Amino acid sequence: MCSSPIWRLAPGQRLVHRCHDGECVLFNDLTGDTHLLDPFTIALLDALRATPQPAASLAALCAEHDGGPTSDPADPAELEACEELLADLAALNLIEALPC
Amino acid sequence: MASLGQRALRDRLRGPGLRLQTGPFVTCVQSPLAALADSLGVMYADYPVLEEGSLADFHVRLSGSHGLRRLLRPQVHFHYDGMAPFQPLPLGQAFPMFEWAMNWCVSSQAHSWLVIHAAVIEKEGRAAILPAPPGSGKSTLCAALVNRGWRLLSDELTLVRLDDGRVDPLPRPVSLKNASIAIVRAYAPAAQFTRPVADTVKGTVAHMRASSDSVARAMETARPAWIVFPQWRAGAPATLAPVTQARAHMRLAENAFNYSLLGAAGFHAVGRLVEEVRTFDFSYGVLDDAIAVFDSLLREDA
Repeated sequence: MCSSPIWRLAPGQRLVHRCHDGECVLFNDLTGDTHLLDPFTIALLDALRATPQPAASLAALCAEHDGGPTSDPADPAELEACEELLADLAALNLIEALPC
Repeated sequence: MASLGQRALRDRLRGPGLRLQTGPFVTCVQSPLAALADSLGVMYADYPVLEEGSLADFHVRLSGSHGLRRLLRPQVHFHYDGMAPFQPLPLGQAFPMFEWAMNWCVSSQAHSWLVIHAAVIEKEGRAAILPAPPGSGKSTLCAALVNRGWRLLSDELTLVRLDDGRVDPLPRPVSLKNASIAIVRAYAPAAQFTRPVADTVKGTVAHMRASSDSVARAMETARPAWIVFPQWRAGAPATLAPVTQARAHMRLAENAFNYSLLGAAGFHAVGRLVEEVRTFDFSYGVLDDAIAVFDSLLREDA
């Protein structure tokens, strides 16, 4: 994998989801599983559907969600948290890294 | 079935098969076992029986052992469409095996519905769905409720229609295990039970006959109004605690037999269901207190 991969929504995922009172359920089109997620994660997946991006770009979204200031370059702690989240989503086959 | 008479019942079971209607399903049952015929005659006395040759959804056969085994260690064998999906059981477990096999037929084949492992009862047109793992007191609570004015739709399999989200009844005998047998007998002395069968894979089991009213109204669908996840705890007060819709969705998915198989249709069926009902965790320790809580739900949502 690249040192700074570009992430995209996994092909075939339609992001079929329902949100209620700050919690969302998402149907995984590739595995048939259903995931319990927060609305921010749905927003992040939606952002990756619109535009494939590296973690550094998404870190600003993460910082905004956490209520902190956005910075350029991204805050290292924020970037690390964002990378962890992306790795988790990749493990669920919801997103994937574009080939380098 | 009662109008058939015992002799005709046995003849059909031994011969072309008994076309037994339970809810939306017709099962063709064949069996030479006299004890099974007797149990069916009692527990399914009120159920419709179709004419010989009528189409059936499931074809099942329960037969005894042959040869020496028949004398030394008699067993009952279950066959579905000629296949034997289960290991044989001791002959005394023929009726429990029939019930388990009927559940298996529906849960593994009936994919026109979302099939949830849950009891479901109805009053005044509104259904309460009680999904729960074994040991949670689901069937005990269900048996108590149906002996206090609620209609039995099913004690084991909730059939949610995919097109409109209503529940199709599948009333069959209520399965009780171990200590719950004596509890329900004491709670509903007028109800009819099979003789308890010991040493099954589930411990001692007995079945309580479904009321004539619930059988007669087996084609009368109900609108889900509540999903209640029950948990019996000794001495616990009857307490309802709201469950968020998303978490209720996840828990229903875990309790549905064919959720994954249905794919996005299953996701939407569960999603719609949790949006249309109120969802609760429910702990209880005394049946009368539990009944009062269910009746208060009915009044609150009147």
